[in-house]
Amino acid sequence: MAGEIVYMLGVVFAVFAVNYALRALPFVLFGGRDRNLPQWVASLGSYISPVIILALIVYSYSGLRWRTPWPYLAGALTVALHLWRRNPLASIVAGTVLYMCLVGCGCTTAETSLAYDGAHPLIRFSNTGIRFKDEYVTPSRAIELLEENQIPHDATIHILVDDDFTDRRATWVFQHNYLARAGYSRSVLVSKRVATSAAVDSKPRRAAESAPGKPQKIRYKKADE
Amino acid sequence: MGYTTMGFVAGVLLAAKGNVVLGPLWGFLSSSMWITGTMSFAFVPEVAARTPIYAIVLMTLAVNFRYAFYGFSMLARWKSAPFWRKAYLILMLTDENYALEVASPFKDPKRHIAYCTALSLFNHSYWVAGVTVGALVVCALGFAVDPDVIRGWTDGMEFAMVALFIVIFTDQIRSFVENGR
Repeated sequence: MAGEIVYMLGVVFAVFAVNYALRALPFVLFGGRDRNLPQWVASLGSYISPVIILALIVYSYSGLRWRTPWPYLAGALTVALHLWRRNPLASIVAGTVLYMCLVGCGCTTAETSLAYDGAHPLIRFSNTGIRFKDEYVTPSRAIELLEENQIPHDATIHILVDDDFTDRRATWVFQHNYLARAGYSRSVLVSKRVATSAAVDSKPRRAAESAPGKPQKIRYKKADE
Repeated sequence: MGYTTMGFVAGVLLAAKGNVVLGPLWGFLSSSMWITGTMSFAFVPEVAARTPIYAIVLMTLAVNFRYAFYGFSMLARWKSAPFWRKAYLILMLTDENYALEVASPFKDPKRHIAYCTALSLFNHSYWVAGVTVGALVVCALGFAVDPDVIRGWTDGMEFAMVALFIVIFTDQIRSFVENGR
């Protein structure tokens, strides 16, 4: 907490200092004198600035879903609207809203939208029934949903078992007669405590990066154990 | 009004995705000290990933390099401004303010400086209000809604920064073409 506040104060003051220094630079360099600014400075500015901004656009696309066509569509709308109306706010808002709609309307691939690591168990066993992402399902429907969401067969399926759910036979049957038969041979039972500690571990990092592939520090039981 | 809207989006992003405590405080502090929309957007993912400060400094240098050239056109016109007034005007030398100040209808330096100061004061308050309110709204919602849900709502909002870059780039290219340079 304290370290975080020091860090944020450092960031705020560092950006302030750099930003102000850049803006004050001409006044410091040429403020006292009466001469005009050299021509090459002006032309340098008009060449360098667009190049830097272009580099920034390319760089910031890497933070978006650049493998999908959506950021390019939204970018095209922004450019077109700005060339037409010359209203920065309208262009920015229209582009952003279009991008948010495209990203939000299920136009993403299943892999990126559905996390299925130890911190986000897809299937949950409780005394009130089996749930697939908060939706009550039958065991066979759970398998269908796994297939529908294109969860790979070699992925480890984490099954959250509530602490008061003691019917080990039900989970065993689900793992062997349903999951394993459908091709999901790697499944793991996790308790609430393990799942939350895995969630705490993975949260500070970006969820999408840490989600699949990385081995979580969980002691688990294999399906055939 | 543009400032308030953009500030609101920046504040929402900071509080929802910045992964920091006291989001509104940082929103208020940063927006009042650096009135640079580009950095207010660009520093959110960096702060969320706890990028070292020197990297953020380098990034600021690159992102805001263009500001170093804005002052040149103001040198002569702001010559007679008192020291602190000038210091404040320099602080507020943003893209939008610069565009308006260059196109200012007042030729008399005294009235021009007064016009610039009023413009800066208004835009400054709009911007600070936008960012702070945006961050506060997310924080207030945070008591009622799961933070992950809010992060889902704001999904895609980070395009605002890219759109801002695209708009600046389009303007630069247009002035390039129109000036024939």
